[in-house]
Amino acid sequence: MDSAEVEFLAEKEMVTIIPNFSLDKIYLIGGDLGPFNPGLPVQVPLWLAMNLKQRQKCRVVPPEWMDVEKLEEIRDQERKEETFTPMPSPYYMELTKLLLNHASDNIPKADEIRTLIKDMWDTRIAKLRVSADSFVKQQEAHAKLDNLTLMEINTTGAFLTEALNHMYKLRTNLHPAESAQSQDF
Amino acid sequence: MFVTDFRRDFYDVIQTERVLLFVASDVDALCACKILQALFQCDHVQYTLVPVPGWQELETSFLEHKDQFHYFILINCGANVDLLDILQPEEDRIFFICDTHRPVNVVNVYNDTQIKLLIKQDDDLEVPAYDDIFRDDEEEDEEDEEQSGSESEGSEPSGKRTRREEDVIERTLKRRQRREWEARRKEILFDYEQYEYHGTSSAMVMFDLAWVMSKDLNDMLWWAIVGLTDQWIQDKITQMKYVTDIGILQRHVSRHNHRNEDEENSLSIDCTRIAFEYDLRLALYQHWSLYDSLCNTCYTASRLRLWSVQGQKRLQEFLADMGLPLKQVKQKFQAMDVSLKENLREILEESANKFGMKDMRVQTFSIHFGFKNKFLASDVVFATTSLLENIEKDASGTDNFIRALDSLSRSNLEQLYQGLELAKKQLRAIHQTVASCICTNLVISQGPFLYCYLMEGTPDVKLFSKPASLGLLSKYLLQSFICSTKNKRCKLLPLVMAAPMSMERGTMIVVGIPPETESSDKKNFFGRAFEKAAESTSSRTLHNHFDMSGKRLPFLPPHGSLVTQGSGVILGNHWGGGLGTPPNLSFHPVRGPGEKPHVQILLGSRSRASQKPPELSLEDQELLGAERLGL
Repeated sequence: MDSAEVEFLAEKEMVTIIPNFSLDKIYLIGGDLGPFNPGLPVQVPLWLAMNLKQRQKCRVVPPEWMDVEKLEEIRDQERKEETFTPMPSPYYMELTKLLLNHASDNIPKADEIRTLIKDMWDTRIAKLRVSADSFVKQQEAHAKLDNLTLMEINTTGAFLTEALNHMYKLRTNLHPAESAQSQDF
Repeated sequence: MFVTDFRRDFYDVIQTERVLLFVASDVDALCACKILQALFQCDHVQYTLVPVPGWQELETSFLEHKDQFHYFILINCGANVDLLDILQPEEDRIFFICDTHRPVNVVNVYNDTQIKLLIKQDDDLEVPAYDDIFRDDEEEDEEDEEQSGSESEGSEPSGKRTRREEDVIERTLKRRQRREWEARRKEILFDYEQYEYHGTSSAMVMFDLAWVMSKDLNDMLWWAIVGLTDQWIQDKITQMKYVTDIGILQRHVSRHNHRNEDEENSLSIDCTRIAFEYDLRLALYQHWSLYDSLCNTCYTASRLRLWSVQGQKRLQEFLADMGLPLKQVKQKFQAMDVSLKENLREILEESANKFGMKDMRVQTFSIHFGFKNKFLASDVVFATTSLLENIEKDASGTDNFIRALDSLSRSNLEQLYQGLELAKKQLRAIHQTVASCICTNLVISQGPFLYCYLMEGTPDVKLFSKPASLGLLSKYLLQSFICSTKNKRCKLLPLVMAAPMSMERGTMIVVGIPPETESSDKKNFFGRAFEKAAESTSSRTLHNHFDMSGKRLPFLPPHGSLVTQGSGVILGNHWGGGLGTPPNLSFHPVRGPGEKPHVQILLGSRSRASQKPPELSLEDQELLGAERLGL
């Protein structure tokens, strides 16, 4: 999977906006949206929120978890635990990136939030690397990782599976005698 | 007609239509275009953008596109001429004109259907009243016919005679009235159209429109600021108008940027922040070294007289007076010691006062985004102007326009930096050319005005083949000349500047500058003067530039006829205030094979406007005809 595809999937998440125009309910294949009234908050998917924001037709309300104190707590907990802690949203990285790129004037303390999210991401990726490393060293058959988000899986997924394939091939070639014997009829 | 409610009569009308946008080639027009483009993108309005550097391009593009569009928007072009006459559009085409050129042509003002002017009426427009200019002529003819008809009827001889006498008296009275009215009309129109000047910046008008619709953003405000600063740098508006407009923009700036003071809720560092600055008048000083900036800014270079050895010494004294070591001052400004930079503005202002430079500081704005990027409005104006008039080989007019337009966006910083480098080159070239002109006494006093001609071999002369650069050069030259000459009379003279425009086609570009006076109202007479001169000498001129005082002349070496694209220099005994009658300027072609063409200026009073052109010999006429066909 491509990172762009993951971002595309993330754009289906709902966010709250406050429009400055009015429009009746719109009926889309994915669901109904609206009605839009100026000044009243309404839930829309992220892709629509970004489009409206770029056309200056709305104001974005940051999600509840995008708050400096909450994120600090989560980050500290992530650093303490050895395994992965649950994240506020399965698409926290993409949401943050899109919201902070296009709507940073609606989000208070945008710079600190960016730093905190980056810290959390770095910690989790480091844990992922460590666990992949130990998995390979101890030649485990399977591993279970909870609370990983799709974006993180995507960063290591392709590489890890390819690497394991290569290692399997190398390992089977290390013991050619055993497999050769079984070929005798 | 003037549009009163911009939103209802302009924006709502075009919101659902496809429009064609004609944009002139100056920074103010670019900024207005950017604001309008941003509004169009928000509302998904389909538009086509056509850059038009002059009248010819406007006409050709109009002919190309006129069948596809009903609504045309012209930015910084078209208000000062009879547009319907030039373009000959169909009846249902509507033109919206947002232009700073004044005076607005009376036909444009009083046309109710096709021409809509996006111009604020509180600008001092002084349009003559309708009745003074237009009058139903049909009534006159009918009455004349009736009277002549009634003459042929027969009746009592005596009665008829008295009636005929009365009729005759009436008719002569009417005719005399009409002649008086026409004479007065001519005078009113002459007074109205003789001086050219500029009104409120188009970018500010567009920003106002955005504000009325509550769609204004900080970015649009910045473009409005750049448009206004461009007008000030090119000396198109008076100091008072500049200060008034800065006040208006300052209110908008504080409305958009008040969050920056609050520590708790301040914006991300990547958001644009605009701040009001009472900053130094040195060009590009924050992107250059202080020394270079002092040398290449017109204001300081002319007052310190930096083309002479004594001037250099005076510069050293100036720097010593401020306590700035030479080594520091010659470094890039960002690398200067912080302790020196802290109070730089106040120290500079104090010392400048001692050396006769009273207006060292000027009110302006700066923009700030990211950790590294800080620009003053004047920096952006210089960079964008030099991108617009880039003379590098593979740059066509449209490419330059698009590149300059892009450089105004925040995301295209490399273009802006490239523009800054080009601007530095341009300023250096201007300074060196001015220095050489003054040192070699190329500025000749020709009676009622000063005249200077740049030879083909002058270094960087290609840079000055564009109107705005040549205009900037002429202003600097005039200021420097005033500071260098002891002749009191010369200080009040205007300047005509000529430079070769294109060697292959043999054309020249000429520019005129009004004289430097304390209270000048920046009114330009050259437009009309050049037109009359061109007529009376029947030289081939091209009034292509939207500024009426710009002309392109074919430079025919055997004839040396000179046509100028002037930005309006007033020739005459009295100027800048409309005192006295502007004389008729005529250029007399002077022959001299291989010689540089020089111009004899014939002056006359207004009554000589109908003078016949000087007669050319047969050979000259042939040559002129041949050139006319070939060129």
